[in-house]
Amino acid sequence: MAEFLQALAQGLLIGSTYGLLALGMGLVYGVSGVVNFSHGDFISLGMFLCLALYSAFALDPYISLVITVPLMTVIGGLVYWYLLRPMVGHQFLMVVQLTLGLSLVLQNGILMVFGGQPARTPSVVESKLLILGDVVVRVPHVIAFVVSFAMAIGLYIMLRSTDFGRSIRAVHQNAHSAALMGIDVSRVQTLTFALGIGILAIAAALLLPGTPIQPAQGLRYTVITLIVVALGGMTNFVGIMLGGLIIGLSEAYGTIYLSDTLGMLLPYGIFVLIMLFRPQGLTWSSSR
Amino acid sequence: MRQEFYKTLTSPVWLVILVLAVVLPPLLPSYYLHIVILALVYVALASAWNIVGGMAGQISLAHSLFIGTGAMLSTALLLKLGVNMWLGLVISAIISGVMGAMIAWIDFRFQLGHLSFVLITMAFAEMGTVIVEGWDFLGGASGLLLPQDKGDFLAFQFGGGIGAFWVMLVLAIVSILINVAILNAPLGYYLRTIRDNENAARAIGVNILRYKIAAMVISAMLSSVIGTAYVRYLTFADPYLLVSPIIIIEVVLFATVGGLGRAYGPAFGALLLVPLGEILRGKLGGTLPGLHYFIYGVVVIAVILMSPRGLLPLFEKWFSRMRPKAATSK
Amino acid sequence: MLEVDHLVTGYGGVPVLHDVSLTLNAGEIVGLLGANNAGKTTLINSLSGMYAPMSGRIRFEGHDVTAMTPKQRVEIGIIQVPEGRLVFPDMSVRENLLLGGINARARAHRPRTMDHVLELFPRLKERLGQNAGTLSGGEQQMLAIGRALMAEAKLLMLDEPSLGLSPLFVQYIFGIIDRLHAEGLSILLIEQNLNLTLRHAQRCYVLERGKVAIEGASDVVKDDPRTRRAYLGL
Ligand SMILES: Nc1ncnc2c1ncn2[C@@H]1O[C@H](COP(=O)(O)OP(=O)(O)O)[C@@H](O)[C@H]1O
Ligand SMILES: [Mg+2]
Repeated sequence: MAEFLQALAQGLLIGSTYGLLALGMGLVYGVSGVVNFSHGDFISLGMFLCLALYSAFALDPYISLVITVPLMTVIGGLVYWYLLRPMVGHQFLMVVQLTLGLSLVLQNGILMVFGGQPARTPSVVESKLLILGDVVVRVPHVIAFVVSFAMAIGLYIMLRSTDFGRSIRAVHQNAHSAALMGIDVSRVQTLTFALGIGILAIAAALLLPGTPIQPAQGLRYTVITLIVVALGGMTNFVGIMLGGLIIGLSEAYGTIYLSDTLGMLLPYGIFVLIMLFRPQGLTWSSSR
Repeated sequence: MRQEFYKTLTSPVWLVILVLAVVLPPLLPSYYLHIVILALVYVALASAWNIVGGMAGQISLAHSLFIGTGAMLSTALLLKLGVNMWLGLVISAIISGVMGAMIAWIDFRFQLGHLSFVLITMAFAEMGTVIVEGWDFLGGASGLLLPQDKGDFLAFQFGGGIGAFWVMLVLAIVSILINVAILNAPLGYYLRTIRDNENAARAIGVNILRYKIAAMVISAMLSSVIGTAYVRYLTFADPYLLVSPIIIIEVVLFATVGGLGRAYGPAFGALLLVPLGEILRGKLGGTLPGLHYFIYGVVVIAVILMSPRGLLPLFEKWFSRMRPKAATSK
Repeated sequence: MLEVDHLVTGYGGVPVLHDVSLTLNAGEIVGLLGANNAGKTTLINSLSGMYAPMSGRIRFEGHDVTAMTPKQRVEIGIIQVPEGRLVFPDMSVRENLLLGGINARARAHRPRTMDHVLELFPRLKERLGQNAGTLSGGEQQMLAIGRALMAEAKLLMLDEPSLGLSPLFVQYIFGIIDRLHAEGLSILLIEQNLNLTLRHAQRCYVLERGKVAIEGASDVVKDDPRTRRAYLGL
């Protein structure tokens, strides 16, 4: 039972951050139809930037955010404007190959700078524990959970009640009509992509404490994110956060109750089944 | 259509390649021979992938499963059960073909569309990696070591070096010829229709399932055979190389750089990039690991942005511009 | 107010509009008639800046706007109510109206214009919190027009506002058009409904396979025998 509760806590806490990773991808898909296969490598980039800042100035990952978030946001904006925007509308199938190429560039750029050895970035809260009865949770996980949900709620409010948020939803629902309102569609798409990458910078810092990182990990994060997005429905906020929790839980329980291999297969199995039988995701109500 | 196929066969390009192939390899230092062999492996793989990924426009990432099956399964069958590797090659190819047919059927049955197809095949590829790494029969995470290659043809041994070169050359040529043949056959036409507008193809009564399965099975079996030959050359069945998503990403990117959907495009891309990458890796791999992948990434992005149909059409244009000039100067 | 000179527009290099010229004076309702596929929607979208013309000029209030982006054209008051309304289905009526007034010129006075729009369309006031996708076709047309008014249109361009509406709603919408005209708005009215348009517009153009076939005062166009022929697309 203790094991069960422990896995429950762990799964929920990590799952919330998976949800946050997927929100960025879902937003981008919603406004521009781009599925970014270099998503996970941008998470890597965020993590390694934190590592660099720690090595150079002994900055805690949570403090590095002040630098990494604006930096990654700008990088995201540039990537969309110069690489992805020219593809939208024509040659759209090629976006897959382009972002795969980008993934190689990022992953190996990081490899060339940092080398391939697993590295850790310490944080003051890294080894702090929170003990609730039988369940022991690590403080970084609690922080990740709280920040992830705060971010999700913040994003939701932004989308509902600001002009920028409404522009994003308008472009998603009907880009032609949005342009007729005087919304600059390319600009909204670029800013949304930048926002998505900026969110990744935050998620990266949340996942970082206590986790060894290496350049080759990107694809794994991309896959986790895609699974969550497919599970939740590309543009469904509540669904995506729920999807994150489900994948977090299935990972946590899978590794306890199933063999290692089966545990690792479980999320993919869920993904394939969802893609086949409910391509719109688990939750049907659209909160676009 | 037949005629065009034979015309391609008798084109002088093939003659030149053949002559070079006979004369050159024995003269090459072993390091460069290795690069040539690698280039041929990827020429063969990229051409095999092109049948599905280029002609039908379905970016399959599941091909690492077929390459991996060809490599790991045939090796495991030999080492664990003493199955002759020729037979192992056939068994692996059949299993790959069946997996390919299943994927094509799933794609058809659930009408996946291009994007979902990428995602599902990616999930299959990842599952394959997990299974191979977790299954001792296939060597687990540490891989399998083949016995030394003594050049015993009946045991699927070609003596390494020059022998491997000949095998890969044959596979690369077969792979390209299958591309040429399909492009000139009704299958090629239907695959293009599926790529450009599947719904329209459905509407006019094209038997999509049949063509999708045909393309996928041919492509999968070919990839599997190449995988078996490749692992024989490498001697070490390394799951991180042969079943990893990276190998399929490389193949996709080479094909894209060369020119998707053309008979010679993917081969061209592989011939261009593999030697470039390998030489870079040889020279700078110690100080800058990953540089060759980095360059591949930059090249593919540049090509997609500047010449989305690939480099081969670009070269063809240059050549056709140069040729009339040459004619008038005579 | 609006002058279109020798406009050629097309898709993928193939022209759909051949050498179209038309003018609209301030305060006028000008009708643009034509059979299906005549190029009416292509014309209105060119006026909104959705595609770059292959040749020709567009002027608005004396300025050349040919090279302006859709956003810039909205900001100077060229507003389109698109064919098929194209409201944002998963947003509330209120949000749709707010989006209508999102351009830089109109944004600041949205509360005031919204009051005006809701007074014009009391039906929308009752449905403010409802998703636009749940409205009836007629209500969606009201919303689409309301959204355009939120943008503080100087030139209002309506693409087939009567399409798919019941006769009662058609009457209502044309009543609104007359009222907006009386308030001083300039209107370009694209329609398939010949008689209704001839009745409400001062002048009309008839577009036939991408060319202006007939133009003139409404009663002249009405009596021209070529009108009905062009109209049937013969
Ligand atoms: N997006 C488009 N791409 C290519 N051709 C188009 C497009 N939109 C319209 N057309 C073509 O342009 C012509 C005029 O269409 P349109 O302007 O919609 O006419 P109308 O509004 O008068 O019915 C038609 O032949 C139509 O097929
Ligand atoms: Mg129309």
